[in-house]
Amino acid sequence: MEDRLLSGLRRANHAIAILTGLVLLACALVVLADIVFRQLGSSFGGTDEISGYVMAIATSWGMAYTLLELGHVRIDILRGRAGQLGRSLFDLFAMAVMTGTVTLIAWKCWPVLERSLANSSRANTPLETPLAWVQTPWFLGWVWFAVVAWLTLVAAVILVMKGRFDDTEATIGTFGEEDLAK
Amino acid sequence: MIWAISAGLLGLLALSIPVGIVLFLLGFGIDVFFSPFPLIRGLGNQVWSTSNNATLIAIPFFVMLGEILVRSGIATRTYAALDRWVSWLPGGLVHANVATATMFSATSGSSVATAATVATVAMPQAEKLGYDPKLFSGAIAAGGTLGIMIPPSINLIVYGFLTQTSIPQLFLAGLVPGIALAIGFMLITAVICIVRPDLGGTRRVFPFAEMLRALLQLIPIILLFTVIIGTIYKGWATPTEAAAVGVAGAVVIAAFFGGVSIQMFRESILGTIKITSMIMLVVIGASFLNFTLASAGLGRELEAMLEGLGLTSLGLIFVVVLIYIVLGFFIETLSLMVVTIPIIVPLVVAQGYDPIWFGILMIVLIEMALITPPVGLNLYVVQGARKGGKMSEVMLGAIPYVIAMLIMVGLLIAFPSIALYLPQALSGQ
Repeated sequence: MEDRLLSGLRRANHAIAILTGLVLLACALVVLADIVFRQLGSSFGGTDEISGYVMAIATSWGMAYTLLELGHVRIDILRGRAGQLGRSLFDLFAMAVMTGTVTLIAWKCWPVLERSLANSSRANTPLETPLAWVQTPWFLGWVWFAVVAWLTLVAAVILVMKGRFDDTEATIGTFGEEDLAK
Repeated sequence: MIWAISAGLLGLLALSIPVGIVLFLLGFGIDVFFSPFPLIRGLGNQVWSTSNNATLIAIPFFVMLGEILVRSGIATRTYAALDRWVSWLPGGLVHANVATATMFSATSGSSVATAATVATVAMPQAEKLGYDPKLFSGAIAAGGTLGIMIPPSINLIVYGFLTQTSIPQLFLAGLVPGIALAIGFMLITAVICIVRPDLGGTRRVFPFAEMLRALLQLIPIILLFTVIIGTIYKGWATPTEAAAVGVAGAVVIAAFFGGVSIQMFRESILGTIKITSMIMLVVIGASFLNFTLASAGLGRELEAMLEGLGLTSLGLIFVVVLIYIVLGFFIETLSLMVVTIPIIVPLVVAQGYDPIWFGILMIVLIEMALITPPVGLNLYVVQGARKGGKMSEVMLGAIPYVIAMLIMVGLLIAFPSIALYLPQALSGQ
């Protein structure tokens, strides 16, 4: 079960990461177009605002992919000296703390969106973007990060209980020295 | 409060909790123990306002630019071309290692990516031509650190963002020390290889026609660098816009050399998302910690502590340098930078030091952290690409370059204008 869960999560986040990257590329094109138009004397304005929204949304949606790729940096000065079981316990502990924190972050992001929804707030800019339009995908990104963290934690606990330490390390460990060079 | 934070920071990091999460936890701790009013209500707003930022989108753009150049094979071509130009020097290919790393630093902004690329390309050559593996791999690890100093540098963007300092000015300030370090690395290599010719492998001289042909390979990348840096300095483009131009430029160069494919784009995108999210979790955490520290009155407490210590301002800088060297043994670049900025930068600036100058000094110290054991990311990256040999060889080989960095630290403290001349001259101050 845990294997199916993990491979499902990896596939989903892989697709999300590609999509997020394409949005970033599209944003780069918009910025380029703005530079060209400005040289021609007619800026369409608001590029900075759009870039900010894209960054906020791309950031929140990329988090879960990075989690599964073991990309969130950890200092493994003590962990690296522990045995296989010890390392797994370090990893489980770190994963549990991370899951709790990320859940709290997602929880506390909701009031930001809630206020924008309640007041139908618009950005104080020429575009007057309704904030809920951009804060909804941003908020959902953090919720997704929390959901993926919980599911990964559950899968990792099962892996440890089954004694599959190598797989635990591949799921919630730190990235290997060799992997860095790839 | 300062001691509680420092102890909490090191303790939580040692438990191998992800660095970004540690910063959030410290923020929560300050809220609970030191703040008169609840700060956690501001968490959501902090997360939103930190990531909703048009300046920070320069980070994924610069990462993507580097990824595209690396994954489309441009790095390999650059290395071969530089080989033609520098292999007659004492130390031969070792100079190509430093020079390639320097050029890629200039365009990519990521030290790890730079070191990984050069290591992968260069290692097979080293064996063939009989180089000393220590010096050879040490040079790659050290050259790769220049990525965070020579603009465009992602670390300087993060520093500028967290300390409210001008990013174009920081980029300008990093240029001279970055190039000086590269030259310093090459000088040290040459001196070592003159004293001990057996370390340097075969020196090769290429016909001039071949050198000229190689130069053609270098033109696009030099052009790209000039465009990115030039437009920022001329005030034609913000760092974000220049980064977008850089991405487009990288795609054009890749297409020109036939390196564009779906596979290349896929890998570049995945690499970009992974690195960007890693950076952003740490940056958002630091930003939240900054907010809680400011609200809990860290400034007043720092002033009181400084008076109690009775340090001169120069004494303070030496203490700070020492702290970075020691922490640098164990903590890595971005993490080291981000966890120390909220406490150390206000302290230094309160003593009348220029935050731009200190940013550059901090970058040199952080570069050193990348190649000092036991935890030096670039050492591991190079070792990973080596396929065989001992880790300790890379560590030994990096020592001469650590010395060059220490000299640079001393020079920056003695002559701040090494960093500050360009930004002051060009902004007319």
